[in-house]
Amino acid sequence: MNFSLKAMYRGENSWDFLGVSRRVLAGSAIVVLVCVVAIFVRGLNLGIEFEGGGVWEVPALSQVTTDDLRDAASDAGMGDARVQRITGGEDIFRVRGELTPDVSAKSVVSKLAKAARVDAETISTRAVSPSFGDEVAGKARRALIVFLILIALYLTLRFEWKMALGALVAVAHDIAFTVGIYAIFQFEISPATVVAFLTIMGYSLYDTIVVFDRVKDNERSLSAKSRMTYPDLANVSLNQVIMRSVNTSITSVLPVLSLLVVGSLFLGATSLQEFAIALLVGLIIGSYSSLFVAMPVVSELKGRESHWAEQARSAGVLGQSNAIEDAAAVLAADRYDRSSPPRPRKKGRKR
Amino acid sequence: MRRSHLVSLILVVVFTAASLAGVLSAGWTPVLGVQLQGGVEVVLRPADEVSDEQFERAIEIIRNRVDAIGVAEPDITRQGTQVVIQLPGVKDKQRAVDLIGQTAELRFRPVLQMFDPTDPEQLSVIEEAMNQGQDGDIGNENSVETTEPEIPDSRASLSDVLTPPQEDDVSAMVALLGTSGQTGFVLAPAHVTGEVIEEAAATFQGQWIVNVSFNDEGATLFDQMAAANYGRQVAIVLDGVVESAPTINAEEFNGQAVISGSFDEAEAKNLALVLRFGALPVEFERDDVRTVSATLGEGTLRAGVIAGLVGLALVGAYMLLYYRLLGLVAICSLATSGAILWSIVAWLGESRGLALTLAGATGIVVSIGVQVDSNIVYYERIKEEVRRGRAVRSAAAGSFRAAFSTIIWADLASLISAGVLYQLTTGTVRGFALYLGITTLIDLAVSFFFMRPLVILVARRLVGERPGRLGLSNMAGGVIR
Repeated sequence: MNFSLKAMYRGENSWDFLGVSRRVLAGSAIVVLVCVVAIFVRGLNLGIEFEGGGVWEVPALSQVTTDDLRDAASDAGMGDARVQRITGGEDIFRVRGELTPDVSAKSVVSKLAKAARVDAETISTRAVSPSFGDEVAGKARRALIVFLILIALYLTLRFEWKMALGALVAVAHDIAFTVGIYAIFQFEISPATVVAFLTIMGYSLYDTIVVFDRVKDNERSLSAKSRMTYPDLANVSLNQVIMRSVNTSITSVLPVLSLLVVGSLFLGATSLQEFAIALLVGLIIGSYSSLFVAMPVVSELKGRESHWAEQARSAGVLGQSNAIEDAAAVLAADRYDRSSPPRPRKKGRKR
Repeated sequence: MRRSHLVSLILVVVFTAASLAGVLSAGWTPVLGVQLQGGVEVVLRPADEVSDEQFERAIEIIRNRVDAIGVAEPDITRQGTQVVIQLPGVKDKQRAVDLIGQTAELRFRPVLQMFDPTDPEQLSVIEEAMNQGQDGDIGNENSVETTEPEIPDSRASLSDVLTPPQEDDVSAMVALLGTSGQTGFVLAPAHVTGEVIEEAAATFQGQWIVNVSFNDEGATLFDQMAAANYGRQVAIVLDGVVESAPTINAEEFNGQAVISGSFDEAEAKNLALVLRFGALPVEFERDDVRTVSATLGEGTLRAGVIAGLVGLALVGAYMLLYYRLLGLVAICSLATSGAILWSIVAWLGESRGLALTLAGATGIVVSIGVQVDSNIVYYERIKEEVRRGRAVRSAAAGSFRAAFSTIIWADLASLISAGVLYQLTTGTVRGFALYLGITTLIDLAVSFFFMRPLVILVARRLVGERPGRLGLSNMAGGVIR
């Protein structure tokens, strides 16, 4: 394989994606397994929206300590309050505690304001009833199921069920990986993160559809007498879309990266951080899975179809799988045999 | 062919410029959500099962209360079994939280006196009467305050006379206004509250009337009140407003009362609803209460805007470097989408009170990627064709169909996810879905009506047969050196 950026830029790349796909798939499967184990072993750090409770964000003055606030919180009836100081950008204390019936939200605010020596109006609060989280989670789950069913139907209608399956496997892979990262590093999960997970699913699908669309397109333009095997077809298609995938990933990651770096490190907006981490991880993994998970799965499934199995057999008898450059040339010839004949390509380049 | 492209381009530019100019000259700006400018957000859920009618009525009442606080852009929506109330920029946050979802009662108060709220002389008389009455009823707490209003010749204003909401106790004498605000009432302590009403219905019997039936306890209480106030008016008071003040025409009702008057159908039905459901027909639990301080909101907004601009600049720079002239087209497409989006968001804020939330803003940032991708899909197709030896101008025109088909199918998946999320979720996720959907639609339109003609024109006029301008230098095949 010839990993040259220049070749990629010129569109001369001819990488054997499918040749390495089994090893890459196995690697992905192991990573996903690790993530799933992490989710079960370490559990998820759920935000108050899912567990219920209260959060208060208090502007921090330099002479006030977290202990002052912890005392104020326990004074107001919350003995188990957790107080964090969040620096970087605006300096704030974040107090999180459980809301029992004898804790009055009002007295918590006034006591915290007094301890932190700030005006009560400058404190941001959040109080969530325990049942709310169940509802949020329940709704998200229902929306997810409906979404997956519709997408499966859509992809089956647009492409075929094998591709729908491949796309869903890739989506599952991305979600497992991202949620796994949250479990491993114990990042807090809020509705904002759920939004990010959903975005990742959408993005991953979007990416996969672009790849599949190209494969279908190429498949249609194959002439009947073509000797191409399905992995060859997939390989050519992947090589054709890789530059688009790379560029799209870069241009989608740039805004998210700037949201993460500029937004939360320099300006200290923690609410932006919640989105950005999940999005960043998810976007990258989504592009990867379209190329290295979705397509190989489809290729495995399609390779068993009688027509493609026949092709593969005859290629085996002849003792050659088409070199990717040749396959691309064959494809181009099939496609453009009428209107504009392709310029002769250099053939026989060794891989 | 060439003309239609030019027309399409000009139309898009004119349309975009006109909508942006319209929005700007009307002074519309996007309404910012609670997390972006500070304010209050409350999610309420009924404690028990409620009918649709009750729910709608409850939302109506909450809306009236919010209007009374005077919030610029309140957003109150029913989302499934919840009510989501967003009050961006509200000043007194704690009071707003207290007021929303409070189950004030319906009260029957005998009318002591009626007055004209616009007549200062009457007001002074009423004020004096009220002060005496309150001294008798409430006592010590007010004794300090009473020194103040007794300054001679001070002209009483309406707000001095009326009882403020927090002092509107069942057992106090109060001064309140009617629904129209034209009539003032001085009212005795309430004997009967809305809890004892079993059923109330509006019927037509020559004229519109409202039939009310009480439970056993209510029947006794109501008869007691009727006996004491025979021939006088009794006010039906809801949330500090006198809804109606019928005259008592009997001393004994035995649990059945008929309220008649010159009602039209709507008035009668509304009164029946008020009687049946009391103030808030539903007892609400506060699922989620969030207050965001103005400084935190502004900080988040500033961080988001700066991060968004930096991100856009990076994307623009990358596209220029990689695609040269086509990169410029991509930047123009982004600018066009941005202008259209701004107009839509401002219009939604102005006409529907729909705020741009933090989640929505994130959806928009994400959509930058989708938008740019539509460009990339197309450009890569063009480059591929050119590499195969096709002339740039014919490649630009010829590869759009295939590229656009890819764009449509991929965007359709985004639209499906936006639709499902919008329908089935609430709050944060819903806001995200809305803006994801809007930006995806904009992307489709801009790709077709703006990007395509511009690319084709650029390829014809500026590139000619110099693909270097598209970042296609040193192309395969050794054609260009």
